[in-house]
Amino acid sequence: MISPETIAKILASRKSLIPEGAGHLTPRKAEAEGGCAVIGIASSERIPGRHLFQALEQMRNRGNGKGGGIAAVGLVPEDLGVTREILENDYLLAIAYLETSARSEVERSCIEPTFEIHHAQALPSTNDSRILERLDVKPPEVFLYFGRVRPEAIEGFKQRNGLEAAVAPPTSPESIEDEIVYQNSYRLNRAFYASTGEKRAFVLSHGKNMLVLKMVGYGDDVIRYYQLENTRAHVWIGHHRYPTKGKVWHPGGAHPFVGLHEALVHNGDFANYASICEYLAQRNIYPLFLTDTEVSVLLFDLFHRTYAYPLEYVIESLAPTTERDFALLPEERQSIYQRLQTVHIHGSPDGPWFFLIAQSSPAQGEYRLIGITDTSMLRPQVFALQEGPVSVGFAASEKQAIDAALESLAREDPRFWLHADRYWNARGGSHTDGGAFIFTVHANGNGHAKLQCTDKFGRAVRSGAQQKPYDGRATAVRTDMALPDVPVDELFAWVKEQLSGWDYGNLLAFLKALERAADSGNDRKRALEAVTLLMDRRYPTGAMRRSSLLSLFDQSLGVIVESVRRSPSEAYVFVDNCSPVPSPSGQAQTVVLDARGFAAEGERSLARKIVWLYQRGFRDFMLAHVKGHRFIANGLGAGTQGVHIDVYGSSGDYLASGIDGAEVVVHGDAQDQLAQIMKDGTLVVYGSVGQTFLYAGKGGHAFVLGNAAGRPLINAVGRPRVIINGTCLDYLAESFMAGDPLDGGGFVVLNGIALSDQGEVVELDTPYPGGNLFSLASGGAIYIRDPHGKVSEEQLNGGQFSPLEEHDWAVIHPFLEENARLFGIPVAWLLEVDGKPSLPSQVYRKIHPRAIGALQPEEAWVKMHV
Amino acid sequence: MANSMKSTEQLIVEKHTASLHQGFHLWPELKNGKLPALGDHRWTADLILSTWVQAETGKPPSNGLEHRVGNSGGGFDVLDFKFLPEDRRLSNDVAVDLSIPLNRRPYDRQIEIPIPFYGAGMSFGSISEQVMCARAKAAQAWKTFTCTGEGGYPDSLLAYKDHVITQVATGMFGVREETIQRAPIVEFKYAQGAKPGLGGHLLGDKVTSSVASMRESLPWVSLFSPFPFHSVYSVEDHKKHVDWIKTINPEALISVKVSTPTDIDMVAVGSYYAGAHIVYIDGSYGGTGAAPEIAKKTIAMPIEFAIPKVHRYLLQEGIRQEVVVMAGGGIRTAYDLAKAIALGADGVVLGTSELVALGCTRCSNCERGRGCPFGLTTTDPELSQLVEIDWGAERLGNLYRSFQWQLSDLLRSLGLTSIRDLVGRTDLLIYRGRAGAR
Repeated sequence: MISPETIAKILASRKSLIPEGAGHLTPRKAEAEGGCAVIGIASSERIPGRHLFQALEQMRNRGNGKGGGIAAVGLVPEDLGVTREILENDYLLAIAYLETSARSEVERSCIEPTFEIHHAQALPSTNDSRILERLDVKPPEVFLYFGRVRPEAIEGFKQRNGLEAAVAPPTSPESIEDEIVYQNSYRLNRAFYASTGEKRAFVLSHGKNMLVLKMVGYGDDVIRYYQLENTRAHVWIGHHRYPTKGKVWHPGGAHPFVGLHEALVHNGDFANYASICEYLAQRNIYPLFLTDTEVSVLLFDLFHRTYAYPLEYVIESLAPTTERDFALLPEERQSIYQRLQTVHIHGSPDGPWFFLIAQSSPAQGEYRLIGITDTSMLRPQVFALQEGPVSVGFAASEKQAIDAALESLAREDPRFWLHADRYWNARGGSHTDGGAFIFTVHANGNGHAKLQCTDKFGRAVRSGAQQKPYDGRATAVRTDMALPDVPVDELFAWVKEQLSGWDYGNLLAFLKALERAADSGNDRKRALEAVTLLMDRRYPTGAMRRSSLLSLFDQSLGVIVESVRRSPSEAYVFVDNCSPVPSPSGQAQTVVLDARGFAAEGERSLARKIVWLYQRGFRDFMLAHVKGHRFIANGLGAGTQGVHIDVYGSSGDYLASGIDGAEVVVHGDAQDQLAQIMKDGTLVVYGSVGQTFLYAGKGGHAFVLGNAAGRPLINAVGRPRVIINGTCLDYLAESFMAGDPLDGGGFVVLNGIALSDQGEVVELDTPYPGGNLFSLASGGAIYIRDPHGKVSEEQLNGGQFSPLEEHDWAVIHPFLEENARLFGIPVAWLLEVDGKPSLPSQVYRKIHPRAIGALQPEEAWVKMHV
Repeated sequence: MANSMKSTEQLIVEKHTASLHQGFHLWPELKNGKLPALGDHRWTADLILSTWVQAETGKPPSNGLEHRVGNSGGGFDVLDFKFLPEDRRLSNDVAVDLSIPLNRRPYDRQIEIPIPFYGAGMSFGSISEQVMCARAKAAQAWKTFTCTGEGGYPDSLLAYKDHVITQVATGMFGVREETIQRAPIVEFKYAQGAKPGLGGHLLGDKVTSSVASMRESLPWVSLFSPFPFHSVYSVEDHKKHVDWIKTINPEALISVKVSTPTDIDMVAVGSYYAGAHIVYIDGSYGGTGAAPEIAKKTIAMPIEFAIPKVHRYLLQEGIRQEVVVMAGGGIRTAYDLAKAIALGADGVVLGTSELVALGCTRCSNCERGRGCPFGLTTTDPELSQLVEIDWGAERLGNLYRSFQWQLSDLLRSLGLTSIRDLVGRTDLLIYRGRAGAR
């Protein structure tokens, strides 16, 4: 039992950190945080820092180079030149010296009196002029000190603060030591960084088996500058900052910020910074670096270390469960959460935010990556899990960053492969998973560790993939497999039949045969279509894991694209960022466009190249190796019927925005802001989509195999016709204004199902989990597949349910048929309830706007006279 | 056409229009004194009537009507210029340059306007198509700009497209790739001074069939645009948003329109770094034809505070010389205009003053569909006929000419030959306090 008195004593002991009193300190942010890029990786095997390069480079457009940083947790003793005992038991005090002369003073005044230092070293940095040239501000010199707090210092602290008898946490010997380290670092920062005058030195990190490095520059340059390419760790987090105030930049403002044994990076911006500062001030905690991120980790540290809350309560205190989600919690939880909220809600950050935390608990042999999302779901976040001989978990601002990290890992180590087993978004403040996910590495000390993923409530999240992944070593790959000479649909059917009996070797033999056929030029089309079908559809994969298959299909596609490059043909023209472009021949031609080397945005972007090619007369495009490229299919202008774009790889934000007739097919998941203001045309996504899908959409058809994230179709008007087979996070069709679906208007069909990796159609727990369905809508309709009546009135906000009628079914049925053709989700299955075929009206419910009473008389008058 | 061929409706419109025009002419002559119920402290009867004179004659009134300041007791109304003594002022034959650049970055398209102002965004729906075209026609004649507002880009504006700024607002009504591609300048409306923190709010009775058709929504149903862009919740989202527009139209200049919260300075800097050419700050005295009563004029910072704040902050950041700061929201007269520039803006955006020139009396019934007695802030098919496009364009052109004349005169009286030399010259301003400006 933690006694309130001891907590009070600990907090009281911090008064001495601000001896002159806090009256003069004003809670005002030094810089607007605004935007950022975050990525986190947790691996059961310690991985080197260079695997963050590609991910961070591809997310540079989320930062502005004025701050970047990394944290590494669960390091390898040899990489730092220390023994295992020292690494696991000693505090790793990493100090940044902005002024070399400060070192002796810092050591004399802040380190020696408190610590018994067992090992100290300078952290090497690069001399590479190409890197140094890029940096506006010279990064600080970093020294690492490994040590423990001197027994005298511990005794002294206990006596001064009336904690002599303390043994239990938070006042066990360990935690007293922790508190001393915290206070010592605070004093150091205050004396050498935060006070008026020169900024001379500051503490980067002080946790055990944890290292934070940051500077004025991009996050990937931090790794290069401090030569961490080969440094290995279980957990990495990386960050680019986008601060917008101030002419002079300081490394101290970059992320991550540290609590004690955790480092935090943040994407977002708080509206209530002053309120949080007040809340912390009541506990004698005064921020020094004046950013949102610093107070976030100070809050985390307070809840986790000082109050010793279990992680679930820490998360609840930061992101309180409210409204409908609160009402759906079990009673015991409600009671505890109520109390937590009463005390902590004024300290809870308000505004868009997404936290990634790297946490070290060497005594328990645990290293963690924690991702927590805000309850309004305003920042994008993607989580992913790959389970194999090595398991790895990810959390990031964009899916393409995760794919980039996997690509980097897979390139060097066959125990990783290109596709994760699962990708998902978190619904902040939800009663189902709490909007937070934790990847815990349990290291048992002899080099073997396990990775486990849990949600806020401690429930395990598994990949669900039972089969063995492909380990890069297929036995006896035949090179003479003969492909049946049949059209691609039959070929695909044939492959599906074979799969249950195949191993990876057989599959590779098949793919090689396809590649050979494509190479000869005759069969290129069928080969491409076959690989595409294999990627897009879901079907039983026998003893092979789907994510491994997807990786192999990706590679096969790459080989076929390479063959087009080497030998283009009448039908297939090759374009990359340095090849000359032929003119269209007037026949049907497909431009195979290798996205590598094109910028993600701007004049030299992939998107502008597509516009350029379109203006020259090309109409059919195949985009390969897309790596986060944005604005695909934007800028084509009005009237693009006849344009067809196939997208392979990890596409970026804003894909298909503004299209007016074109057809865009994404062979995989897509990201955020898709199809914004889309006017006409067709968008098909063989996966899930991200935030604000079809925002202000005006027309066209869209088919999504998986889920949408927050705010799909918000403010849409006109006549979009959309099928989302999965579900959404929340705020579906808010302010929908799309007329009457029965009279040329728009609608969304939400099926609430999932297509498993093995091709089985399964109903989701609920067709719609959120509390804001069709809010404030004045037009359009939602047709929700809800045979069990799980969606209730209280989830609506200005809409109303009504039964599905004949004319409704007549309108949506053709779309469901198209949906079946595209994705293999039979209409007959959709109309089955508990195995029994049912009528559409027993399965689908209609949600449409409630008539606005106040305007009806006006409407009536006007209609008389118009 | 002979009267016998005209419909009753046409006859009524003609007679009513004739009376209105006669009123616009007679009232400023003050033969019957000032209308006791006309105006308020910001837009006094004098200011309204003198705007009518300027719109008719192209010159300020010479019968004593106050045409420079209002009576609000603060802001522009208590600031005066430190004119040079008469003998030291520049003579009338000295040329004065009133042009301003709309892009001060060393790259991207260079656009200049010969007068330091352009027209504010007023959507089709909040005002009539006739008023929009009148404004566009005047902008074309004067080589400046007007703006579509949030309601889409009517085809009738195509003839003036080189002088029309397309607005991308949070509801993205009527925004399509072609409306972005044809625009020389694209304006992101993040907020509007008259109703900061709220989105647009066009009440149902102004959403006629044609308004609804342009916005692709339902007739007679109120339209609310959200307060934020749902795709922009962070500064890197804003940068992505700017990049999106640039992908569609790489040539367009980018303007970011914001209201005036206390951290307006940080917003301005963030916009600059995201690639904006123009930062347009819209103060609280702006008007709106699409907002509920409760929101109008009760929030956000007056423009007189916001301008120097932004100007000084951008100077401090070392980026002032690459940003064009446009100020709007309650700019009534040529003197307000000059004071705004002296406080630190590069130029000014005109809204209400243009409507006053077309006959607005500030009766504040804008948000009702059949509320505007002058056919301005209405899309009612009958009422909107009260404004004839050529007549409207001429009225606005006259107002611009009067401003042009007064600004030149003002600059000469300060010993300056270019409006660009007035930017940030608070040393040329005097605070009159309670006494008010003379």
